[in-house]
This record gives sequence, structure tokens and C-alpha cells, in this order.
Amino acid sequence: MKTLLYIASILVLTACGRTAVVPTSFSSLEEQADIYPDYRDIVIPPNIAPLNFQLRDSLASDMVVEITSCPAEGTTGKESISLLVAACEEELTLRLDTTEWRNLLTAHRGQSLQVHVYAQHPTGWVRYRSHTLTVAQEDIDAYLSYRLIEPGYEMYRQLGLYQRNLTNWDVHTIYENNRSYKSEDNHCINCHNYQNYSTEKMLFHVRANHGGTILVEGDKARKVQVKDSTILTAGVYPSWHPKHPWVAFSTNKTGQTFHIYGEEKIEVIDEASDLLFYDAEKNEVKHILRTPEYLETFPCWSPDGKTLYFCRAYEPGLVEVPDSLKAPALLQHYDSVYYNLMSIPFDEATRQFGTPRVEIACDSLHKSCTVPRVSPDGRYILYTLGDYGQFHIWHKSSDLWVKDLECDTCYALTEANSPDVDSYHTWSSNGRWIVFSSRRMDGNYTRPFIAYFDRQGKSHKAFCLPQEDPRHNVLLLKSYNVPELTRDAVRVSEPTLRECIYHTDGEQAKYLR
Amino acid sequence: MGGSRKHAAAPLANTAKASTSSATSPQRKTGGLARLLFPVPLVVFLLVWLWAAWWQGDAFRMVRENSFFAPDTLLMRFEMDKSYGILWTVGRALLTPFRYPWLGGALLSLMLTASCWLLGYALRLTPRWRWVQYLPLVLFTGLFTWQGANNWFEAESGHVMGIPFCILLILVVWGVIIRSFSHKPTPAIFRIPQDETPWQNRFQLLTVLLTILVPAVWGHFYRPCVRPLAKEQVAVMNQDWEKVIEVAHAHAELSNRPMAAQYAIALVQTGQIADKLFDIRLDYDKIHATGYNEDTASTVTTGMYLMECDYHAGLVQTAYHHAMESMAMEGPTLRNLKMLCKASLLRSEWEVAEKYLTILSKVPFEGDFVEKYQAMLRRPDRVNADKEMARVRLTEPIHDAFENRFLPPVFLGYNADLLEGRSIQALHNALMVSIYTKKMPDFLFRSQPLRGTTPPVSFAEALLLLSGKNPEILQQFSNLEMYRGRLTSFLEHTRQYLTTPEERAARARELFPQYKGYYPYYYFFGNLKATKKRDKAESSNAGVN
Repeated sequence: MKTLLYIASILVLTACGRTAVVPTSFSSLEEQADIYPDYRDIVIPPNIAPLNFQLRDSLASDMVVEITSCPAEGTTGKESISLLVAACEEELTLRLDTTEWRNLLTAHRGQSLQVHVYAQHPTGWVRYRSHTLTVAQEDIDAYLSYRLIEPGYEMYRQLGLYQRNLTNWDVHTIYENNRSYKSEDNHCINCHNYQNYSTEKMLFHVRANHGGTILVEGDKARKVQVKDSTILTAGVYPSWHPKHPWVAFSTNKTGQTFHIYGEEKIEVIDEASDLLFYDAEKNEVKHILRTPEYLETFPCWSPDGKTLYFCRAYEPGLVEVPDSLKAPALLQHYDSVYYNLMSIPFDEATRQFGTPRVEIACDSLHKSCTVPRVSPDGRYILYTLGDYGQFHIWHKSSDLWVKDLECDTCYALTEANSPDVDSYHTWSSNGRWIVFSSRRMDGNYTRPFIAYFDRQGKSHKAFCLPQEDPRHNVLLLKSYNVPELTRDAVRVSEPTLRECIYHTDGEQAKYLR
Repeated sequence: MGGSRKHAAAPLANTAKASTSSATSPQRKTGGLARLLFPVPLVVFLLVWLWAAWWQGDAFRMVRENSFFAPDTLLMRFEMDKSYGILWTVGRALLTPFRYPWLGGALLSLMLTASCWLLGYALRLTPRWRWVQYLPLVLFTGLFTWQGANNWFEAESGHVMGIPFCILLILVVWGVIIRSFSHKPTPAIFRIPQDETPWQNRFQLLTVLLTILVPAVWGHFYRPCVRPLAKEQVAVMNQDWEKVIEVAHAHAELSNRPMAAQYAIALVQTGQIADKLFDIRLDYDKIHATGYNEDTASTVTTGMYLMECDYHAGLVQTAYHHAMESMAMEGPTLRNLKMLCKASLLRSEWEVAEKYLTILSKVPFEGDFVEKYQAMLRRPDRVNADKEMARVRLTEPIHDAFENRFLPPVFLGYNADLLEGRSIQALHNALMVSIYTKKMPDFLFRSQPLRGTTPPVSFAEALLLLSGKNPEILQQFSNLEMYRGRLTSFLEHTRQYLTTPEERAARARELFPQYKGYYPYYYFFGNLKATKKRDKAESSNAGVN
């Protein structure tokens, strides 16, 4: 039946499809087309799904797009070859054929393409100044996991973890909580994380009802309770050790508060935090750092597993303050809490950590860094730098920066950054792509952006995750949260996760003193 | 099987016989009112239409405003993925004509009338039993009335039209099957029924009347605040402030937080908050509204007015926050999307305002809203020129702070901690919060900018009350003495009731008609929960000078 429906719909679509013809007569415009999302002059992975877009031109009633090869250097535009021509659909949206697109990119790996946009104005056809798509040599990992959630705030009902195949439009639901509100079942899910870009080992947390940490191995899932009376809260921000079934967690006591006026909307205050080392095989947990005067968070292993990077703020004043007053005390100077980038050596054989050392003294610059992520080759640390605090996803000042560990220099990824929030980020397994959350589209809803990171350590203009319907980003009332790239698809099924979450209490981890 | 066929054939024969006999009846020829027959389905249609559009029109409008439907699968995914999601989506679609209650009411009436008619057909009712087909009407009118504000408060809006649609669909299928297999003739809809006696016809009419009247009368006594509340909420949406005030005054003795909130919003918008707030009873009886908290405590109704109160108190960002919380819990609704849009415009967040307008433009019948606010995109001058928004601007905070530093009551905004405001309206709001919460030292402290002036009535009454212990107040403010006579007579009259909190509570209702709008009455007898809260706070601060 499904096949019949499929064939029927193909026939209908074919019957209704328009034949795209490049206008022979047109006037040329100096400006580039205003397209949504902005896919102009970018570097793209050769395996990315079609970059469908919508033309934003109130005068236009029709659109035709032609993709040509770039003329060789020193020649005129006449030598370019027409490779793909497509006409728009309703609301001036362009939806390219996936197969044609894939063939085009495969054939032009490492080359540039020119995109010519023609629009029909009341006065006739016009052609905007063309833009370029540079097809990189290197693929991006095929799968992107993320959480969809309303941007902000305190309450939650329906949210889920999803995995998108970046080479096409497939979206797989990893796990989704309640569609309808049930107070006894309401729970939050967060902090999904994978070991070494593989879905063989992953984890995420469940908060509130049915709470615990869900550990996945292949297609099996189990729940554990990492919290112990000596630990501040359950594990929060995770990082899998690259070689062993070990996880470094931060444990944070955080709270949200809301601005009533001005540019920023939300502050998340970290009242207390420490670092934990968790052995998933033995279900044992111990503190890495437990310091009342420091706030440690966002752990991240180096690819060789010998160093743990993290962020740390020094707040000696908190030691004397009773727990109930820590949040108000921090709110008094929330905009002068600065996190430094730290590292701590780790000995795999003894499982012992050395002495922490400052990697970037952000406090001396009156800046604050968060979410360190080390490139797969171990050379760069990608992090977010903002004016203060640790929850940069709500700070408009936040930008992506890298530290080149070889040259010991730090610099902003200017080409990839935007005036709005650019934060939570991940590397591709080949180190040539970064995916991060950005609020640049409307200042409120985060969308995943992809940027090329070349061999010279330079970033290129970022572009939004392509969608089958380019209006998706306007119509979707949820934020993409915590993008994580993996090479393979998640294998564990949603019913398995649901069973684990709803029907197991979770084995209590043993605390090692 | 054979038996049921035999049984089924009998009414057919009866109908045919009755039809023939009535056509030739000498009684019909004689005419007269007593012999007049009515096309009952037509009467049903008209009565249900009247009930849905006029009697409950505002309630249906509020259900629609707390719902969302757009013919777009991406936008409706949140609903379609639920159990029976497609049905509830259809229900939401059928709600959209309630933008104009007469249009929505006609659609609902058509559905219910058709259902009754089909039920009669499917059950093969003889004229004698035909009144039975109208009984299910009471299920709808009764349930809708019983649900009251729960129809639109944190509820699945798709149920209201989705369930009748589902029933209609089942009856249509049933009717088609009967028609296909038994070829039973269909009874009249618009024609005068030929097979009924006048008594049978009258009895059907009586049944129909009762199915409408009984729930309406019951609702009037047991859900008294539902219709006025809906009327006020619709008026607030339409920015018809005079209508809100008129409805509030007409129901001054009904007391619940959502209605008080709408009233306060209208007073803020018309600059009358300092004169008229106490014209309605502010004791807050419980109302039948549970929401997803499944708790009947009156405080759970906060979701009915929180975002609007924030907005009209000038706390635009807080309004955005609470509209977003509403969206997280209930999914998008016209109400929260419109608030998100207006708040974004006031914050000059053009891109996200455009996003909300794009979404709203896909909702049927929302063209007016979209057109009005689309014109404000990237035009701060137009935002500031809008009457409602200009009024909101007057009470916006001057400095940033965190929400948790501010205190309820929400319906006047969190201005209780206000030390600096950008307008006299902001000062009035802050002073009203102080006298509403009966925190008189705060009120006195904040009223200093009014020194040397003639304060608005409620402030003057409050200041005169305070002058008993602080006589210098009389010199600081002008014309307080003109209120002396009424205060003296009020205190003389009520002294006997001021003995215990129980006595005050017992006398509050009785004294209200005489003293409504009078601040000393409110101070001693009104909102005793606030008095309790204040006393508790004061005793916990004992020993602190």
C-alpha cells in the first residue's frame, strides 16, 4: 500500500512539476539575492543535503535558479557550464532534487560553483549578482543529534532528542517525553553525549520524574543514579573518555533568573560546582575536584585521554555564605563572574589526576569562557567566550574562539561568528567542520550552524542546517539545543529507552572516597 | 437477526401510515395556533446558534484564542502527534470561525442539528419517540456549561469541536449504511413534519428548549463568573477598556482573580487605577478552573491573566517570559503567540516578531491582527504611536533587575519594589500595590512625590486613614479633610464589626454594597487574605526597627 501511495505521489508530482527554463532576457542587478537561509558565498561539505532556500523579494512573482561551474581563472563568465536549473515552488521556495544535488556535489568536490538567481519582477526578469558555493574536499559526519525545546525558560512539557541525517532529510526520534502533560510523568531530558563520534556509547540525563542518567551501549540502555550524599547534584555536563568507559561529569547547583529589562533575557547562576569521574563499567564515582571556593564546570577530554579541560571561576566569597543565600549573593555581581579555561593531567593507569593549570586566564581580560571542545587532532581547543558567567547560550556577547595549542595563541572565529549568540559547539570527527548553536536568525530561537574549519585553523562563513522546506526555521517554535555530530546513527530504539526510563529506578553508583 | 429486521420494518410502515393519515387529516385543514406544527430541526438550529453565538459566544471565542490551528503540517505537528491528534486538529480547525461567534455558532449549530437529525434517523424513531433524538444536545450544552472556564484554561481546545465532529462523522456513516441497505426515507428537516401530531411536535420543542435552558440557568447560578470573565477577556483582547469596566461593575460582587485582573488592566489603560480599583469586591472566591495542575485552589488560575498583567504593567520582557512558559506547557495558542509578537515589537526584536506574524498569518481569520502589527515591523515610531503600546511604555522599568526581586500581586505588575519610575502612571501603580497589599508604611514612603498635591481618591482615603497615627500627613497633602466626614461615619458604623477577623469576614459581604469603592472598607473588610499575609510578614519582622 505504502509503495502504491509513493508511486502515486511521484506520478502526481511529476505531472504537476514545472520545467525550469533560464530566462534568456533579463536585466542584471548589482546586489546579491536576499535568500533565506543565507547560503551565499559559503564552503559546504560534499555530502550535505540540498541547500533549499526562499527568495525574499516582495517584487518577485517567480524564481529560477541556475547553478554553473565557476569559470577558470583569467577567463570570462561565458566559459561556465550550466549544471543544474530549478524553478521555485510556492512562496518563492526552492527545493532541489536530492539526487541531482548529490551528483553535482560529488562531481565538484574541491571546486566552486556559482549560483545565479533570477526573479520575475513586474518589469521583467532580473538576475541578481551570483554567489558562490565552494564544495570542500572533506565530508561532514552524517548524523547530527540535538534536542528540540522551547527557548527558555522554567517549565517544560514536550521535548525530545532527535538525530538528523545531514545527507538527506531523515530525522530519527531518539527519545521524546510526554506529548500530553501528566504531572506524574513529566520529565526533562538533556546533555546527550557520545564517545568518540560513535553512537556505540552515549548517555543523557532524565530530570524530575523517572530521573537518572541513561547509559546506552549499542542498542541497550540502563539507568544509573550518580548522585551521592557527598555530591552536590547528579552529574550534569558530561564528557566520555575517548578510550575507556569513563565519563567526566560536572556536578552543578544551578538556578535560573530572568531579567526584566534590557538586552539579555535569562541568567543561569552556578551556585556551586565540582568535577566527577565516573566509571560506567563498574558504576563507581569519585570527585576529581571538590573545592568550595571554585566553580568547576564543562569538562572535556583531550583526544588522547591524558588531559581533562574544564572551566573554573574563583569565588572565595561563597565559602562563608549559607547555601540558601548563595544565589542571591551571586546575583549581586553576576556580571563579574569569570570562568578561566583550565586543564588537569590524567594518568590512565592509576586513574589519578594531577594539578590543575590555567590554560586561558579569561578573568584577567574580564571575560569568561565555557564549553571547551578539543579538535580530533588535539591541536585546537574550541570554546565560547562571553563577557561574564557560564551560560553563554543566553549571552549576546558570546562568540566562538579557538586556542591553538601548538602556537599557544587564541583568536576569534570571526568569519563564523555573528553579533548574536554563538555558543554550544561540536567538531566533526575529521576536524574540518564545526557545528554550533546560534541565535543569529531571530535573536531567540537557536539553530544549528555549520562552518568549515580549514587546515590553517581559519573558520569560514557559517550556514544554517539545510531543511527540506526552507521556511522550517521560521515556522518551528522550538530551539535546536546541544548539537552533537556522530559518524553513525543511534541504534537504541525509542521503546527501549522508554522502558528503561519509565520502568527502572536506576542502579545507585558506588562513591569512592 | 430475523427478529430485528421484523422490528425495523414496523416503524417504516407506521411512518408511511401516519404520513398518509396526517396529509388527509381534517384537523390540519382547520388550522389555528394549537394545530400549528414546527420544523423542529430548524428550531434546534436557531436555538443552538443563539446559544453558541450570543449566550456563550465570548466563551467560545476564548476557547479559540487559547487554541491554535494553521493548515500546515509542520506547525501542527505538536498536536497531530498526540493520541487522536488528527481528530483534535480537526476540532481546532472547526474552532477557527469563532473569531466571529455568529459564524462559529452557525457551524456548531449545524453540526449539532445534523447530529440530532441523523440520530433520529439512525435509531428509526417514530414521531412519538422523536424527542429522544434531541437529548444528546444536553450532553454538549451541559458539558460546556459545567466545564466553564476549563474549556479554555490550560485545556485541549480540540475537544470542544472535535468530539461533536467525531460523533457527527459516526452518525453520517451510520446513516449512510442504513440508507444504503434499508432505503428508509429521511425525515423532514426544513419542512413541516407530516407524520407528527401537534402534541408530539410540542413535546420535541419542549425537549429542545430544556436542553438549552436548563444548562443556561444552571450555569447562571453555579458558574456565574464564566460568561462575564469571557466577556472581559474578549474585551481586553479588543482593547475595549470601557466594556471591561462596564462588565466588571455590572458583576462587582462576583469576586475572582482573573476578573479582577482584567478589570485592573482596563483601569491601568484608562488611567483610573487610583480611583476605581475598589469598586469591585476583591475577596477572591474559588472558581471552577483547574488547568493542568488539577487543583481547584484559586491561585492556579494565574495562567489566565499573568502574561497580560505583566504586559500592561510595563514588564514586557516578563510578559514574553510568561507567554513562552505558556507555549511550553500548552503549545502555541493565538493568545500566547500574539503576546510574544507584541512583546517582541515593543522590544524592537523585529526578526522574531516577524516570525510570529508569519505564523499567525497562516491562521484563518487573523488577517486584521497581522496587518495591524506587520505595519509596525522595523518602525519604532509606529510602535510608540500605538495607543495600547504607548501606555505600556509609560510603565516600563528604567533599570534592569531580576524578576525574583519583585513582588506580587501580578495584576498590578511587580511594582511593589519600585523606587524609580518613568511616569506618574508608574508611581500610581506602585502606590496601588502598596495600598492593595495594605503595606501602609511602604505606601507612605512612596507617596512622597505626591506631597503638596491633591491625591487621587483612593490614595487620599488611605492617607486620611494613616493620619490618625501621623497627623502631619494632613499638612503634607492637600484636601484630605474633605474625606473626613465619610471616614468618621464609616468607622462609627463598622466599629462593632472590627472585633475579630471572623467577624470582619462575616460582615464583609453585607457591607460591600454600601461601601464599594471606598478604601477604608477594603482596608478593614476586603481581601482578608492580604491582611493575613501582611500581618504574618509584620510579625516575622518583629524586633526590627
